[in-house]
Amino acid sequence: MKNYLKIPYLLVLLVLSLVVFLFSRTNQTNTIENQRISAQQLVHSFVTNEVEASTIYKNKLIEIEGSVKNVNFLNGRITVFLNGESTSSVLCDMTKSQLKVAKKLKEDQKVKLKGLCKGFLNDVIMLNCTLINLNINE
Amino acid sequence: MNKIIALLFLLVSYSNSKIVSTQLTTNQEQVSFFSYTSVENIEAKNNQVLSVIDLSKNKIAISMLMNAFVFKKALMQEHFNESYIESDLYPKAVFEGEILDFDPSVTTSQIKLVKGMLSMRGITKEVEVETNITRENNAYVFTGAFDLVVKDFDINIPPLLVPNIAKSIAAKFRFEYPTDEK
Repeated sequence: MKNYLKIPYLLVLLVLSLVVFLFSRTNQTNTIENQRISAQQLVHSFVTNEVEASTIYKNKLIEIEGSVKNVNFLNGRITVFLNGESTSSVLCDMTKSQLKVAKKLKEDQKVKLKGLCKGFLNDVIMLNCTLINLNINE
Repeated sequence: MNKIIALLFLLVSYSNSKIVSTQLTTNQEQVSFFSYTSVENIEAKNNQVLSVIDLSKNKIAISMLMNAFVFKKALMQEHFNESYIESDLYPKAVFEGEILDFDPSVTTSQIKLVKGMLSMRGITKEVEVETNITRENNAYVFTGAFDLVVKDFDINIPPLLVPNIAKSIAAKFRFEYPTDEK
């Protein structure tokens, strides 16, 4: 009988933990803000103030718009460079699924892509990038 | 007299252009590390390492973002960045050194000692690495491996995870510096 009485309490506990779990999940996705910026602006912000730019963009999912500087397939990676400022560009390490589209990219082609900003060396480093809304005019 | 001045000017500009062209930069290089223990093997790779060599002075500089190391398991990557390397506080690892007795004009494979200072997690240590240098497809290719002692960089591993992480981490690198020569 005592055990039977415990069941509603257990149910309440279960529901509460489910709510907490779901709440923490939604909070997590909120921390990754969707930011939109041009490749030139992104490079400019890192060149002028790396510390400030890092606090805004580092480890964030960003949507970038820019023109293709070059594409290469070194070391088994798919890398797209977007024109930035002077010698600095945006280095986009693409996911494997992007091989076909990346091969079709041409110099100076306008593209939009999404990826995780990792910071700045000589270029802004972006990982896990995928192209979005791509119109390849052939 | 005018001819001599013109000749001197040409010589100076030629030597200047030589100095500029002796700096080779590359930004898609590879550094990986491995931790082997009986509990688990951990491997991570960074494919966006920046490096510059100055062939006139035999100097080398390397810089990499610690959060750009990619692991097979996301949880390992999280532990590495948040608990061990603290990549928010110390985002980059930097190496500056010299390639000892290096002759850039040699086209055959040569093994040279690269000696310099490695800074990571705010700690700087002297490092000596045997490096194999070859010439491939109009590029200098530097490859090598070395060990890093976890303790040297004040990395705190929780007692529960001590058996999972090797005391000495094996690091490997491959840098390809393209030259302009055709």
